[in-house]
Amino acid sequence: MKKQSGQSITKLLLREASLVAKDHSLLLTLLIAPLLYAFFYGSIYINKEEQNVKLAVVDDDHSRLSRLLQQNIDNSPTVELIHFPNLEEAKEHMYRGNCQGYFYIPKGTESNLLSLKQSNVVLAVNAARFLPSSDILMSVQQICLTIGAGVRLQYYQKSEGMSSTIAMQNVMPVNLDYRPLFNERSSYGAFLLPSLLALILQQTLLIGLSESVAGERQHSGIKEWLKGGVSTGIWGKGLFYLFLFSAYAFFFLNVNYSLLHLPMRGNGFELSLLLVLLILTLIPMAQFIGSLFKSQLLCLQMMAFSTYPIFLITGYSWPFESLPVAIQWLSKLLPTTPFIQIYTSIVQSGASLWANPGALIHLMLLWCFYSAIAYVRLNMLRKKSLGD
Amino acid sequence: MNHFGHIIIREWKRILSLKVFYLVMLVVPILLFSFYAVIYQKEEAKHLSFAIWDDDQSPVSRQLIFLLEQREALHITRRVNSEAEVEKLIQEGKILGAVHFPANMQKDIYSRHPVHVTLYTNAASLVAAKMVYKAVAEVVITGSAGVILKKLVKTGMKPDQAMALANPIKLNSYQLYNASYNYQEYLVPGLITVGMQMILIISSMLALNYEWKTETMQELHQLSNGSALTVITAKTIAHLVVSWVNFILIAFVVFPFFDIGVPSATGKFFVVYTLLSLACIGIGMFISALFKDVMLAGDTALFYTSPAFVFSGFTFPRWAMPWYDQYYATIMPYTPFLDVFFKVYYMNLPLHYAQADINKLLLFCAVMFPTAILLFQRQFNTSTNEKAIRAVHN
Repeated sequence: MKKQSGQSITKLLLREASLVAKDHSLLLTLLIAPLLYAFFYGSIYINKEEQNVKLAVVDDDHSRLSRLLQQNIDNSPTVELIHFPNLEEAKEHMYRGNCQGYFYIPKGTESNLLSLKQSNVVLAVNAARFLPSSDILMSVQQICLTIGAGVRLQYYQKSEGMSSTIAMQNVMPVNLDYRPLFNERSSYGAFLLPSLLALILQQTLLIGLSESVAGERQHSGIKEWLKGGVSTGIWGKGLFYLFLFSAYAFFFLNVNYSLLHLPMRGNGFELSLLLVLLILTLIPMAQFIGSLFKSQLLCLQMMAFSTYPIFLITGYSWPFESLPVAIQWLSKLLPTTPFIQIYTSIVQSGASLWANPGALIHLMLLWCFYSAIAYVRLNMLRKKSLGD
Repeated sequence: MNHFGHIIIREWKRILSLKVFYLVMLVVPILLFSFYAVIYQKEEAKHLSFAIWDDDQSPVSRQLIFLLEQREALHITRRVNSEAEVEKLIQEGKILGAVHFPANMQKDIYSRHPVHVTLYTNAASLVAAKMVYKAVAEVVITGSAGVILKKLVKTGMKPDQAMALANPIKLNSYQLYNASYNYQEYLVPGLITVGMQMILIISSMLALNYEWKTETMQELHQLSNGSALTVITAKTIAHLVVSWVNFILIAFVVFPFFDIGVPSATGKFFVVYTLLSLACIGIGMFISALFKDVMLAGDTALFYTSPAFVFSGFTFPRWAMPWYDQYYATIMPYTPFLDVFFKVYYMNLPLHYAQADINKLLLFCAVMFPTAILLFQRQFNTSTNEKAIRAVHN
């Protein structure tokens, strides 16, 4: 009996391979899309972070201090200054999208400081675009604080007669030592790329396998597919995807990670186990989704809209705790949610697979859940096909 | 009613009766757009799990902890005792950051020795890390300025002069067009419009070739007197009207319900939305005329539309991408649309500021529609041949 089931699974694996080879849509989705997307999307973030964000500057002070401010801002890797004679022109350039904000140094900035009055400078950023505006803001804020510390240093040395060592100790009594862990440069690319590669793996599997199951319904193949039993059907078909996507995962982790200079801080074997568990969970999930469609085309259309919603609610791009409760529950039904938590902690922070036992159990429970509902649903379809 | 009107009404009937149309064009927008708005209902990420590592245990450190507790972004959940513990808790996903107050901090401050407060964040979760940094940096900078101020006042300096030295260069920063970095305001309109782009292309890519599938190509041929121009124009109008229905859903239902968007820019939004719709329908018609095989058309449309959001520069600017990706971004209508959208919607500027990008959208229409007409006319001429129809259907 066991031998029969084994043979049947092998037959189904070969049947699936031949089905994919004959169906150009599946061929594109399963064999070309994962590799193309991985290189294509990955290349966007190859530089990891943005540099030289254009910022307009209007200097009405024309002083040593204003030049020092501009020089420091221009020397930072994030910002590139463009000089304008007046605010109207600077604003106009921001409106046209040529720069992401403007920095204004009013007349009297230096003379105010020299007469022990606070100097006000203005930074207006186009916050309609989040990343450039927040990068400019952070950079200019830091420079203003540094130059302010320099002003105090000079005051302590000249007016209070302190030695440079003592003056230095007084300049910044409380300093912030910022240590961003597991992405030292806080770069957008290093943050997004690992999850992007995992998402490409997941979505191409979900779309391809659900399309294949929808195709079985469309071409009346359910009876033939499930004749050896529903479980054998699920895992016979699924075995093809397990092999194929395990190979992709191996490829991404070795080739794409290396090309994109992404660190893999955790244990490779433990990561492989996790990826296999994800693929095992996605297989019945995709089969359940595919079984809801009678048309391969409709399945493709609907699945096309699943990528962004899935990514947005996994807690990766937006903190999980900040999602509405109902969405948190929906998110917990997706294997991506526990997977991403364990995956990022292994890949980016070098944690062990067992460091997140809750998430690991969650993923295993989802594997059981999707296997059960895929079984029930496909059993219904099998009975129906036998009755026809 | 003339042939033209008949084709428009016939197309609406197809849209309302065929699942591949009505699910994509009418059901998906309602579900998807409401879903996007609900995700970011809290607008800003708040109460991020945070730990305190206080080796000082002094009134100063307690004061700083009190100030940190007042920050909405932070939720102090744990006390820790070492860097290894911080790292472990971050790895386990239990905290997103921690702050360390060193031993003798208060003593060092009073004895004029600089102290270093260390902030750890999980920068692998970049959005949360930036929020934690902002909240903690504000507290530490304020605390540092307070210490300087106190010391200077003690030396007999006037408070305003002391203030001028504590913070000599005051940076007055203005975050224009989204003052509080509200994620709902920022992301939802972008996600909705990129979703709309996908909806338009994924539905119109079936406008012509699906006639083979439903075996109605001959009927269409008769109705249009064999004119591809008539068919494509009429079908474009039908699809455009449905996209206007979705505009009503976006601008008059979803945006007001979730209190997002810029109501005063709705008119300009309509103009650029219509241009995006026309460009997308043009591309859909082109794909539909190019591939008789609906699955191949579907795969092509999916491959073409799905990267639009990331390539458009919405979240990661285009100028930071390699040159080849910047070129690739130009072949998608969402890229110029996004540039227009930022200017006329988010920034509420007059349309002339976006003239160059509007021209790019018009260029999509000018290239795609005539090419689609030429391609489809060739197919159409053979559509009376029953054998050809049957062969394709089989």
